[in-house]
Amino acid sequence: MARSTSTPKSGRPTSGRRRSERATMLSVIGLVAGYRDGGRVLDGVELRVSDGECVALMGRNGMGKTTLLRAVMGHLRPDAGRIRFAGQDITGRPPYAVSNSGIAYVPQGREIFKDFTVAENLLLGLIGKKARGAVIPGSVFAYFPVLAERRRQMAGTLSGGEQQQLAVARAIVSRPRLLLLDEPAEGIQPSIVQSLGATLRQIAHEEKMSVLLVEQNLELVLAMSARCLFMENGRIVDGTDTAVLRTDAALLDRYLAI
Amino acid sequence: MQQALIIALDAANFMLALLLVTLGLAIIFGLMNVINMAHGELFLLGAYIVVAVDRGGGSFWLALLAAPVALAGIGLLMEELVVRHVYHRFIDTILATWGLSIVIKQAVIILFGPTAQQVSNPLPHALSIAGAAYPLYRLFIMAVALLVAGATFLLFYRTNLGLAARAVIANRPMASSLGINTRRMDRFTFAFGAGLAGLAGAVMAPLMSVDPQMGVGFLIPAFLSILVGGSGTLLGALLGTTLIAGASTVVSSIWTQIIAQVVVFSVAIVVIRLFPQGLTGSRR
Repeated sequence: MARSTSTPKSGRPTSGRRRSERATMLSVIGLVAGYRDGGRVLDGVELRVSDGECVALMGRNGMGKTTLLRAVMGHLRPDAGRIRFAGQDITGRPPYAVSNSGIAYVPQGREIFKDFTVAENLLLGLIGKKARGAVIPGSVFAYFPVLAERRRQMAGTLSGGEQQQLAVARAIVSRPRLLLLDEPAEGIQPSIVQSLGATLRQIAHEEKMSVLLVEQNLELVLAMSARCLFMENGRIVDGTDTAVLRTDAALLDRYLAI
Repeated sequence: MQQALIIALDAANFMLALLLVTLGLAIIFGLMNVINMAHGELFLLGAYIVVAVDRGGGSFWLALLAAPVALAGIGLLMEELVVRHVYHRFIDTILATWGLSIVIKQAVIILFGPTAQQVSNPLPHALSIAGAAYPLYRLFIMAVALLVAGATFLLFYRTNLGLAARAVIANRPMASSLGINTRRMDRFTFAFGAGLAGLAGAVMAPLMSVDPQMGVGFLIPAFLSILVGGSGTLLGALLGTTLIAGASTVVSSIWTQIIAQVVVFSVAIVVIRLFPQGLTGSRR
């Protein structure tokens, strides 16, 4: 069985074969973080995303996946460890500064502005950033034509799948270099998941974005990522090429079954 | 008929002046979740700037321009020195801003004494409207308040800055994830709200007896307006002030000030009972 990772005991993913040639986009080093009232949620996370790579992060609920994305985004101040992005240390920066450095975030539950129009939602992805003009790039509507039709509509009136497209579109209008996606397939019809996966892959490829994808939906993971990491109790405990997931039921069972 | 017209004009007058105070309070509360107990004192300071300029022999119109600018600066200081350190602790913000209100009030007493001051009316003429003589200065207040409130609405609903502010009100973490500098928004909001209160105080000074307690007289109806209208949107502030100021003016000119207070509070209680989130509701 061609597992590219060796020992789970070390708590570190060892490097895969294809990625080491490319420059590092995001690296998380020994990250420890938690919420004020709760205990440690992240307990020494080690993670690397190369330039142009899409890494999937899987694991059961409550293992720290969402918290890791929130910590990268600056919503959570780490107790220890570093977060480096595109050669800069961004540890402890506030979310707006992280966003301005070129990381975009599609949170779980989408968090679109329901009482605002589709166009206003998209504009909000731009206006915080000085470097970009306040014009929504046409390419966004090429990826998501339905949003062009619904520009003037209140975002809350869109279907779940359309809202997810809006959340992704809002994240990419500013042409970020790294996209953090938290369960984009959640609550979306299976038929739409497939096309969403294809569009996301196309975006990542054409816009040269790296992606860190937190997802439970195996189909989407297979469509987007070559490499997959598993998280357990606040650590990355294992990793593999996603191709292995098609055949290795035991691996999925170990890290995903409830 | 003339009587009714004058009552309607008085109601509109009070409503528009109150709207300036309420808008500031509502924006600060919506954006930062801070109930600014010192907002009435910002109004007070606006009025006292007019008094100070008047005593120094300066022009009223100069004071009217200086007051909102000065108060915006004071608001910025308040935010930077006090409010930003406690704004995620809701109860503490009430205590801290209440403390600030006491400090400001006492400072005013030290500087100007506890007694009421008078500011001469800069436009002492009356205008005849449909046969009824109405003070020109009151019409001026209405024009200024209408203009400024209108500009505030345009700022919030027609500009990118306003869009960003509304996004922070709707969902602060997401807004910051999109790169909106929430710190700068907080500062701007506080300064803007304080400036509005200062302008309201300055423009109302010639009509009122300016004394250290005058802030409360506007703070309470402003709070009631937000409760009645709903706190999520500026539309709520508009609806709330219309109802509160309208009821208050109409009842007090037909009966007495005391009955007006009773009616206003009763209306507020009934509305809040029926619409716990205020008339415009909050869909969050």
